[in-house]
Amino acid sequence: MNGGVLKGSRTTYALVCLITLVSVFPLYYTIVMASHTNAEMAASTPPILPSLSFFDNMKKALELAPLNQGLVNSLIVSGTITFGTVALCTLAGFAFAKLRFRGANILLAICIATMMVPLQMGVIPLYMLMARLGLAGHLTAVVLPSLCTAFGVFFMRQYISSAVPDELIEAAFMDGASSLRVFWSVVVPAARPAMAVLAMLTFLTAWNDFFWPIIVLSTQNPTVQVSFQSLATGYAPQQSIIMAGTLYGTVPVLLVFALLGRQIVGGIMQGAVKG
Amino acid sequence: MTAVQQSDVIVRPRPARRTRTHLPGRRAAYGYILPFFLVFAAFSVYPWLDTAWVSLHDTRLSTYDQSSWIGLENYRNLLTNHFFWNAFRNTITIGIISTVPQLCMALGIAHLLNYRLRGRTFFRVAILMPYATSLAAATVIFAELFDPNLGLVNWALHTVHLPTVDWQGSKWPSQIAVSTIVTWRWTGYNALIYLAGMQTISTDLYEAAAMDGAGRWAQFRHVTLPGLRPTILFTIVVSTIGAAQLFGEPLLYHNGLPDGGTQGQYQTLGLLMYQQGWTNDRLGLASATAWTMFLIIVAAVGVNLWLSRRRERHERRPGGRRRHGVVTAGVPEVTAR
Amino acid sequence: MPRSSTHRRGAALLAVAALGAFVLAGCGSKSSSDSGTGSADAGPCGTTADTTLTVGLFGTFGFKEAGLWDAYHQVCPNITIKEDVVEQSADYWTRLKTRLASGSGLDDVQAIEIGFVADVVQNHADQFVNWNTVPNATADKAEFYPWKWQLASTSDGATTVGLGTDIGPEAICYRSDLLKQAGLPSDPATLASKWSTWDDFIAFGKQYDASSTKPSGSHFVDSAASIFSTAVYQGDEAYDNADGQPDVENSDGVKNAWTYASQAAQDGITAGLAQFTPAWNKAFSSGAFAALACPTWMMGYIQGQAGDNYAGKWDIAPVLPGGATNWGGSWLGVPDKAAHKAAAIALVEWLSAKDQQVTMWKDGGHFPSNSDAAAAPAVATAKSDYFSNAPVGQIFGDISSQMKIPPIGLYDTQIQQALTTQLTNVETKGTSPDDAFSAALDAIKQVTG
Repeated sequence: MNGGVLKGSRTTYALVCLITLVSVFPLYYTIVMASHTNAEMAASTPPILPSLSFFDNMKKALELAPLNQGLVNSLIVSGTITFGTVALCTLAGFAFAKLRFRGANILLAICIATMMVPLQMGVIPLYMLMARLGLAGHLTAVVLPSLCTAFGVFFMRQYISSAVPDELIEAAFMDGASSLRVFWSVVVPAARPAMAVLAMLTFLTAWNDFFWPIIVLSTQNPTVQVSFQSLATGYAPQQSIIMAGTLYGTVPVLLVFALLGRQIVGGIMQGAVKG
Repeated sequence: MTAVQQSDVIVRPRPARRTRTHLPGRRAAYGYILPFFLVFAAFSVYPWLDTAWVSLHDTRLSTYDQSSWIGLENYRNLLTNHFFWNAFRNTITIGIISTVPQLCMALGIAHLLNYRLRGRTFFRVAILMPYATSLAAATVIFAELFDPNLGLVNWALHTVHLPTVDWQGSKWPSQIAVSTIVTWRWTGYNALIYLAGMQTISTDLYEAAAMDGAGRWAQFRHVTLPGLRPTILFTIVVSTIGAAQLFGEPLLYHNGLPDGGTQGQYQTLGLLMYQQGWTNDRLGLASATAWTMFLIIVAAVGVNLWLSRRRERHERRPGGRRRHGVVTAGVPEVTAR
Repeated sequence: MPRSSTHRRGAALLAVAALGAFVLAGCGSKSSSDSGTGSADAGPCGTTADTTLTVGLFGTFGFKEAGLWDAYHQVCPNITIKEDVVEQSADYWTRLKTRLASGSGLDDVQAIEIGFVADVVQNHADQFVNWNTVPNATADKAEFYPWKWQLASTSDGATTVGLGTDIGPEAICYRSDLLKQAGLPSDPATLASKWSTWDDFIAFGKQYDASSTKPSGSHFVDSAASIFSTAVYQGDEAYDNADGQPDVENSDGVKNAWTYASQAAQDGITAGLAQFTPAWNKAFSSGAFAALACPTWMMGYIQGQAGDNYAGKWDIAPVLPGGATNWGGSWLGVPDKAAHKAAAIALVEWLSAKDQQVTMWKDGGHFPSNSDAAAAPAVATAKSDYFSNAPVGQIFGDISSQMKIPPIGLYDTQIQQALTTQLTNVETKGTSPDDAFSAALDAIKQVTG
């Protein structure tokens, strides 16, 4: 039983439209900012509509900064992180949730504990570790630390322990399945919605990550956030070019949202909490 | 392989009629968690421990190899440091202002989106847009809105003959402004989670309530809310952790300065840590702040869990209905803000 | 069930993995990428092999826009140059410190800003090529203003970490149309005589603010910080004593600057804007202020913010109240671990040469730190259309020849930020200057420890 209990009234529509407007307006205004010079935006009544210079500014942004390279690298990095996270964290989450083994609670507790400490300061020892491993400046250095976060494991563990009934798993084991088979045929289908949600969140977080990539990467091999750094040059940075470049780097995210929107929204709705 | 191995203690308490479940896979389990733990140990545990180690030293990045051991001196410094206590208080107030209305609005929005609307997939994607918009761009826009002299908000106040407010300089207005940005960013996400939870509530319950004469509001209170309790707990815990570590929005609100305003009026613990570690180059002190935040978060989450357990125990009266959904015992989520 | 080996196994797994990480981080051989300084026959480009040089910069340089990378490729066709840019110098410095601490990941050339050059000299001098020991050392040193060379050197002068790029001699940029509207003189020569001391400058400001014909809501100067940040460098000491140790309370520069800035704030002649914020950016066209302290690089900034409509409305007075001083400037250093040291050295020397510094001035308003370049006709006779045909080459050239620079120290950037932040409170919140100063000292203590 999905979907609305009641039909939406006019007030409902009005409210929902208002909320959509508020949610989308800053994105729209970014387009406006990307179409006008600093001076035009500084006028006492700032412009409210975009203009055709938007495309010029976009072109200039592409000349100034390696945005395309950044996009490709970010797709590689975010894609790998997402894939790895979903795969590894679902496996580990399954183990924590359904398989009994000594030390599970301690290990889980350590997992959770690391999530509660802000890891910003860890950037320095992490960089030195990467340098020792010869990975500094490589995309691998950005992928590895996020490859399976404690959050992912905990998220999947919670979901699997409540969404997959023990009876089902028992039955599969009694039928002689190996744990891997149980995982693949019983757990994964049931956990698919959560996996979709985890994928979406992980992709977004990896895409927007700035602090670690700026330390470990360079303009020669940038992710998209690092490539933005080259947009503000000289003593007179043009906000329009910076905004145009930023938008260019957000387009893939919007595309992913649009493509998976129905799926993911469905995914979240089917699965955040199962009865 | 047909051998079923003896298992250890049962996962969840079961009614007595069932025998012990046999869930095998001890050795396999270690295999499943090994890849995770290798990566985790090298890239999460190691920096985590290193931060603790650094917090016991007087370390600066400029002279990284010359740090000296000072034991708990950094922690003692924090306890008597009025910047720390200011940030602590601000984190609590901003945390409450940015979390409570946000979750309430998210509930309301989810309720609205639960109706059969035309184009509702579009709406549901639209409310996630704030989460996808670049934080820097969003903060620029909000800072302009809240500009004391040229901003839209004060212009609107002026038009309706209300006194204008100093959204940057005064303490509560600036915290409200920062909280507004946080709320704008995260409400849609939480709304979708609530919406999901709502889908698991059977329409029979609504019909039964309607037959009993309950109006829409009563249905919401007695059918929707109870069914959402585990979800609500989840979002509360997640938002607590996020609020405790908040630093991106207040940083960008003051144009990238980590002081939280000219008088630290909206400096959070996360900002303070950033300022100590990167601006002032006092890594030891910043690491101590990070670990102190850990203790605070553990306490806050612990309080949340305890409160929720108490409520549950109250409601697990004999003859009480079984809850829809399952108790997700506290899912702390660290979302990079 | 007894606590079996399986319990310990889980813990052991974790311990081994974490230990492994420690071990990896703790030892491991340093990769020797030291290619030496190259043979003497490598030629003027430092090498004859095809090489790509990476140049680590923060946002403000403009070498690429001035076409210098292409020009160098013509001179040395075997050398390709790639920039490695971080927009904010603070983020750039964090990244540079991390790489210096780990000893790897450094670019062939690394920019050094005046805000952290003291730190590089004091803590990292051994990790950079010493320009006193390169083959062209004497020639290199002779090119620059002595103080520019000195700022990048240890106090005994034995080690120098970078060759200068630009400097920032200051004058006063003002809106001549606003001054005219207020009924005040607006031609540069008259103003130069009226603005020779801070007292005179502030008195003039009071006249502007008191004028009945000035645009409503407009103030004379953008911020008290503008006055403070300039005046603080006009004494014998700024934030540090002669040993380079922070000493804010006893500094004559700080005392005077604070007095003048708070006076301006309390007299109400400032617009109370924080510099380099969107509101400040807008004020260049809105007329919220009429004048500000203006290093050479500010000209490009003003133009970029106010736009073409305000060409000819801005002008420059050939004076700096209180005496000539400097704001900003950078150096280029070559890390000792650079992959292509000789080529990098050649590139930096070429960039600091007279012709290239003249190009940077003509193309982007970066005033040369090379004193020959500053004297070149192309620089000395330059005029600015935007700034009402002001003879900018002459104005800033005169000022740079008179500048005196007090000692700099490790925490100047943070100290200045703490003080100017408190000045905003004096301007906008009515905080008493003494309270504000104590609050600033409090914040400074958090930095110096």
